[in-house]
Amino acid sequence: MISKKDFQKINDYLWEIPKSFRKDMRVPARIYVSGEMLHDVLHDKSIEQLLNVAALPGIQKYALAMPDMHEGYASPIGGVAAIRISDGIISPGMCGYDINCGMKVLKSSCSEKEIRPYLENLADEIQKEVPSGLGKGRKIKLSVAEIDKILEGGVPHLVEQGYGNEEDIENCESRGRLPWADASAVSGHAKDRGRDQVGTLGSGNHFLEIQKIAEIFDDKAAEAFGLFKDQIIIMIHCGSRGLGHQVCSDYLREFIPLMEGKYKIKVPDREFVCVPFNSPEGQRYFSAMAASANYAWANRQMIAHFVRKSWEAVLGEKNSPLTVLYDVAHNIIKREKYLIDGEETELAVHRKGATRAFPPGHPGIPKKYQQFGQPVLIPGSMGTTSYVLAGQKTGESAFYSSCHGAGRTMSRHEAMKRVSGEDVVRELKEKGIIVKCWNYRGIAEEAPLAYKNIQDVVDVVHNAGLSKKVAKLVPLAVIKGE
Amino acid sequence: MKQYEVLEHTGDFRIRAFGKTKEDLFLNAMLGMIAGLRPEIQGSESKIQNLKIKSYDLNALLVDFLSEVLYLIQTNKVIYDKVEFIKLSDTEIEAELSGHNIERFGGDIKAATYHGLDITKNNDGIWEAMILFDV
Repeated sequence: MISKKDFQKINDYLWEIPKSFRKDMRVPARIYVSGEMLHDVLHDKSIEQLLNVAALPGIQKYALAMPDMHEGYASPIGGVAAIRISDGIISPGMCGYDINCGMKVLKSSCSEKEIRPYLENLADEIQKEVPSGLGKGRKIKLSVAEIDKILEGGVPHLVEQGYGNEEDIENCESRGRLPWADASAVSGHAKDRGRDQVGTLGSGNHFLEIQKIAEIFDDKAAEAFGLFKDQIIIMIHCGSRGLGHQVCSDYLREFIPLMEGKYKIKVPDREFVCVPFNSPEGQRYFSAMAASANYAWANRQMIAHFVRKSWEAVLGEKNSPLTVLYDVAHNIIKREKYLIDGEETELAVHRKGATRAFPPGHPGIPKKYQQFGQPVLIPGSMGTTSYVLAGQKTGESAFYSSCHGAGRTMSRHEAMKRVSGEDVVRELKEKGIIVKCWNYRGIAEEAPLAYKNIQDVVDVVHNAGLSKKVAKLVPLAVIKGE
Repeated sequence: MKQYEVLEHTGDFRIRAFGKTKEDLFLNAMLGMIAGLRPEIQGSESKIQNLKIKSYDLNALLVDFLSEVLYLIQTNKVIYDKVEFIKLSDTEIEAELSGHNIERFGGDIKAATYHGLDITKNNDGIWEAMILFDV
């Protein structure tokens, strides 16, 4: 059993389990939490899972966990592993099934007062236009040839087709397209699952919210991001849907005999199954992951398109454009360069439930954000607050990563025993929040009581110097897809 | 004997499936997975679907079987709740699936995972497997 005494305090927001704790650890494990939160992370297997991450071949410096950490299925959710490309591995399970699950934020030029009278209609219209995909999917089933174009073309392909504008490309991580994506590395099964899901939300914790900015913490950064108090904002949370899930399943299956036979790599849990990054099989997965990431960016872009359509339909003449603040992944593997022992080293940074947070001046972010850092988009649990932060130079010690949400603290099963969906909807309604959902059960599972307090989580990110707070957002309408 | 039970897990959906035979274990794991999908409207009977899988070992075979059934459920929009096993060894399965066409799912399952999976036979001779699904 791991207990509080096994941790060394690095500072008020960072705790370490040394490499000597377990024989197979190659680096120490570090978690970003406050002293009060440390006790809570011990109630599930997330620390044990992080120690497993510390045992992965090629891992550099530390196995890291963000303050929203909780038990996952290989890495804990909130995990970051930076693996040296020259001699390390690539692990589909460490990236997860929902490849490029992430956040997109759209900004309006309207204040709450202007939109309030239209809110109910807007929420209805968006719910109709953006399905969950658990029913019949979208009415349009794309051909495999069109799916291939999305897999390799990402957001720029959709913009070419008229589903967005140049700014949508500019204000998206990796400009909405990883160029090494290869559609032929994605199975027919995966493409089948993706054919009617472009522009669908999915279920679970995926959502779409109409929010307003309740508080600005940093005036200059907010100005650069185009954010102001009482501004109406649309936040979208979803990923690569069945296509990405299938890609991950396919490669886990393929890699088990390769890892245990051909490459003779040992991992503490089969879900970490991996092959050398530079092996032909590793590179093939990396290009399939990139294709799935492109699909996910295209999915969020298509959702943005349908949100804009709804916005125009409801607001009519009062309509003004919805522009994109940023779009960022929180389940992905990226090649990034960091100084390791004084030498610039290329790493495969695996982020599982962790948001990339590049600092001011980083070449990987749009020109207009260069002075203040990358917008970091952190949703809270349903009906609570969300945040926009900005990446910081001090985040380098966490391979420029931040949390990805509040983080669950209770199982869905337990949440359903404690609260009903009807009660949750009623409570939100009493706070003036509209909820559009298909079934109450999903709402109960996502009840705020099942999550950590987002303010505590974001305060750790801010105080630890991973990202700094720019704006706080509160929901006006929560939409779960029809 | 229970078919399966739902276990606690902070983030995902974990079950323990039981079976007097390996066939029962595979069937009951599949029924546990279906419970997580929460099919809402049952319709007409589906066509029979053939399934053939080869895997590395028995643990992998169970996950690969569940993954394949999940793919068929999600793309055919059919809840398969009956399995006719033609062959089931430690590395190979051949079966016919049948069930009902459905209108929609109430929940989603992204995948069956290999996390912590270990198929065992308990002291009473009952097969058991704990399976975690990403939801």
